[in-house]
Amino acid sequence: MSITGLIIHTAPKNAASVQQAVEALEGTEVHKVTHDGRMIVTVDNEDDGKATQTFDAFRSIAGVLSTSLVYTHFEDDYGVGEHQS
Amino acid sequence: MSISRRDFIKTQAAIAAATAAGTTLSGAKIAEAQAHDDTIRWDKGACRFCGTGCGVLVGTKQGRIVATQGDPDAPVNKGLNCIKGYFLSKIMYGKDRLTKPLLRKTKGVYDKEGQFEEVSWDEAFDVMADKWKEAIKKKGPTSVGMFGSGQWTIWEGYAASKFMKGGMRSNNIDPNARHCMASAVGAFMRAFGIDEPMGCYDDLEHADVFVLWGANMAEMHPILWSRLTDTRLTREGCEVHVMSTFEHRSFELADNGMVFTPQTDLAIANYIANYIIQNKAYNQDFIDKHVNFNATTTDIGYGLRPEHPLQKAAKNPDKGKFDKVTFDEYAAMVAEYTLEKTSEMSGVPAEQLERLAKAYADPNKKVTSFWTMGFNQHTRGVWVNGLVYNIHLLMGKISEPGNSPFSLTGQPSACGTAREVGTFAHRLPADLVVMNEKHRDFAEKVWELPKGTIPEKPGYHAVLQNRMLKDGKLNAYWVQCNNNMQAAANMNEETYPGYRNPENFITVSDPYPTVTAMAADLILPTAMWMEKEGAYGNAERRTQFWRQQVDAPGEAKSDMWQVIEFSKRFKVEEVWPADLIALKPELSGKTLYEVLFRNGHTDKFPLQEITDNAGNVYNNSESKDFGFYVQKGIFEEYREFQWNGPKKGHEMAPFEAYHNARGLRWPVLDGQETLWRFREGYDKHVKSGEGINFYGKPDGRAAIIFAPFEPAAESPDKEFDLWLSTGRVLEHWHSGSMTRRVPELYRAYPDAKIYMHPEDAKERKLKRGQEVKIQTRRGEVTSRVETRGRNKPPRGLVFMPWFDAGQLVNKLTLDATDPLSKETDYKKCACRVVRA
Repeated sequence: MSITGLIIHTAPKNAASVQQAVEALEGTEVHKVTHDGRMIVTVDNEDDGKATQTFDAFRSIAGVLSTSLVYTHFEDDYGVGEHQS
Repeated sequence: MSISRRDFIKTQAAIAAATAAGTTLSGAKIAEAQAHDDTIRWDKGACRFCGTGCGVLVGTKQGRIVATQGDPDAPVNKGLNCIKGYFLSKIMYGKDRLTKPLLRKTKGVYDKEGQFEEVSWDEAFDVMADKWKEAIKKKGPTSVGMFGSGQWTIWEGYAASKFMKGGMRSNNIDPNARHCMASAVGAFMRAFGIDEPMGCYDDLEHADVFVLWGANMAEMHPILWSRLTDTRLTREGCEVHVMSTFEHRSFELADNGMVFTPQTDLAIANYIANYIIQNKAYNQDFIDKHVNFNATTTDIGYGLRPEHPLQKAAKNPDKGKFDKVTFDEYAAMVAEYTLEKTSEMSGVPAEQLERLAKAYADPNKKVTSFWTMGFNQHTRGVWVNGLVYNIHLLMGKISEPGNSPFSLTGQPSACGTAREVGTFAHRLPADLVVMNEKHRDFAEKVWELPKGTIPEKPGYHAVLQNRMLKDGKLNAYWVQCNNNMQAAANMNEETYPGYRNPENFITVSDPYPTVTAMAADLILPTAMWMEKEGAYGNAERRTQFWRQQVDAPGEAKSDMWQVIEFSKRFKVEEVWPADLIALKPELSGKTLYEVLFRNGHTDKFPLQEITDNAGNVYNNSESKDFGFYVQKGIFEEYREFQWNGPKKGHEMAPFEAYHNARGLRWPVLDGQETLWRFREGYDKHVKSGEGINFYGKPDGRAAIIFAPFEPAAESPDKEFDLWLSTGRVLEHWHSGSMTRRVPELYRAYPDAKIYMHPEDAKERKLKRGQEVKIQTRRGEVTSRVETRGRNKPPRGLVFMPWFDAGQLVNKLTLDATDPLSKETDYKKCACRVVRA
């Protein structure tokens, strides 16, 4: 399990189309879009390897100026049963 | 309502991102997540990778680090991470982590040609100590040495330096920062008499113009680049000039992107100075009060072995002397660098060069210049660093918000440890040097050692260490916290033969079986990053601490533990001459541990429970083992150099302050950090009415030092027809020993490749992705051709990153160094590329 919290920067006029494209990607969720075009996004993947692919996909969405990774969580990497909750 | 653990983590991720974006989220899930009593313990830390020094929050659960996030309270990165920082928590958990000492053995005994076998720490140190004592007995203290790191924590570097210089009486200790920052240090000392940038990262929000001299900040300093980008997009009139020997990602933001012929940065910088003088744009008042003019000795060679033809041909090999000249003489020296000539030399169109010169010369524009390895890894690195100071000093654009010549750093504590603690072959803590008797006297006083303990001759620097290993003059050698077999230039001819020389015993301390470790005779397993209490100093003079978050796996121990424990193996009689001991007879019969660490001074702070403000309790493995608060004892002793030593300007706050603050920028005076040095109102060392005082220099004036263009050590010719430049990529840090063990980063950029212009590829009948051999006079490496993507070299130049242990690009590079800084030029040698 890999869960990421990040910010996607876009111009406000492109925010709607960018949000649509982001949400079309697997495991993504847009939590908020600020008035100046910053999008609060989480990415949730079963396979850690997919995370970097998803970040690459963000880069190629028209209207995305930059992405800033903020939070990461990799709990299940460390062995089955070690971190049950 | 109860939310699942997965939703809870996701909500936490969203809250963290929102906080970093300066906004808030609302809703039931959010409220519940915030109220949720999670079992993750969060504490502040500093990133393990580059010199930016981002703050990270480290999440620990049941003894393992399970999460990290950009620290929203960290002034450097304000909650953001780059892709490497994002995967930080995984670097400690590579599958091949070393957990026991490994010694080469045959039939149960040490054998240089034997296979690695697990041994106890006792056996490892017994064998190692025997080899060190044998070397000292045979050839004296210059036969032992250590190669350290700009990734050492502050106290690790301090302990190692004290052990080598004050204990073993050998100045043969040098950090890998020699490969990255030595030229920057040399230029700071020459121009200002004190090391490190006068400005700080706040300049990123204050400048009107940014100039990148060879630096690719978009990939190498991504967080600083995001701050720069914000300013470019939001500040009216802000412009970005980017110079490099090939086009890279930073060019995407450039208003004026310039690709220049390697080595002609020397000409470009002189042209700008000439433009400023020709147009009388210089700041006469500033020059009159705060600057003097000089010219440096020329034709100084290339830091190669003395028998090398280029060294023999040099008129003034290794000479750094500079002499006073008048303003008019200086003006005459730069006069030959006309726009026309410089454009022709550099290949940069004249109008672009002029646009850059105008930006510097405009009195109403604040200019911040950035550079890193393009300048430092340069056979004229000290000179070219200085040429940019010349420009800023002519204009008086220095030491104030937005006007800042800024030398960026590649390693997390190249500044804090290598430079400030002084782990170079010629340095002592707080800018002191071994060549100065007063400085040695002071160090011996703080260390309570007899006068004459510290040798006055500088030891072997990084490149010389490899040469001396090969020549059999350096025989007992310890490498900590770096991967120099992969990192040092000319591996085939110098490094490898040195490590495998039968006369030598090589110890390598590392968390992983790196290329260097595998070439050693003894490997010591090392505790890394959050497995120890640590401190780093970043490129803006910010000192940052963290607590030990988790225990190291198996028997792995920190570098500091290893040095201090090893010191127990030596009695002073075994390493010091009798006449030295006679000066302090009370030391006779003692071990170096008792002399250097358990001495009633360094060990004056007793063991204490380490807690944070929330009451969480943290381990401190070294202090428990040695029975006193080692980190605090060392740091407070180090502060004696800063506060009572012969050079002012390096003052730091008491130990505890750093466990509370998100770092503090030195000098810290009256509890206040210093953002811009040398200027009244910002720097408390500058008295009221002085305005500016470059107090590192006795006369308070900075030195403008003319230096001309001189050619590179090796340039393309008929046989080897391309420039080869090496460097990094975003996803990997340095030799990749950590980042290549993070599956995501490995997958994102698995293997090195060689970036080439499509026409150059076509001319050699090579297709994109094809396997090729890159050949130089020193060796051959196989890689694949890349003609697209992030780096776009011009005709005649190829670029290859060095992170890949499977493609050791330093088999190709030349160990030519800056004769003044002894730093290798990794950016310029001649190669050819042929089908594999």
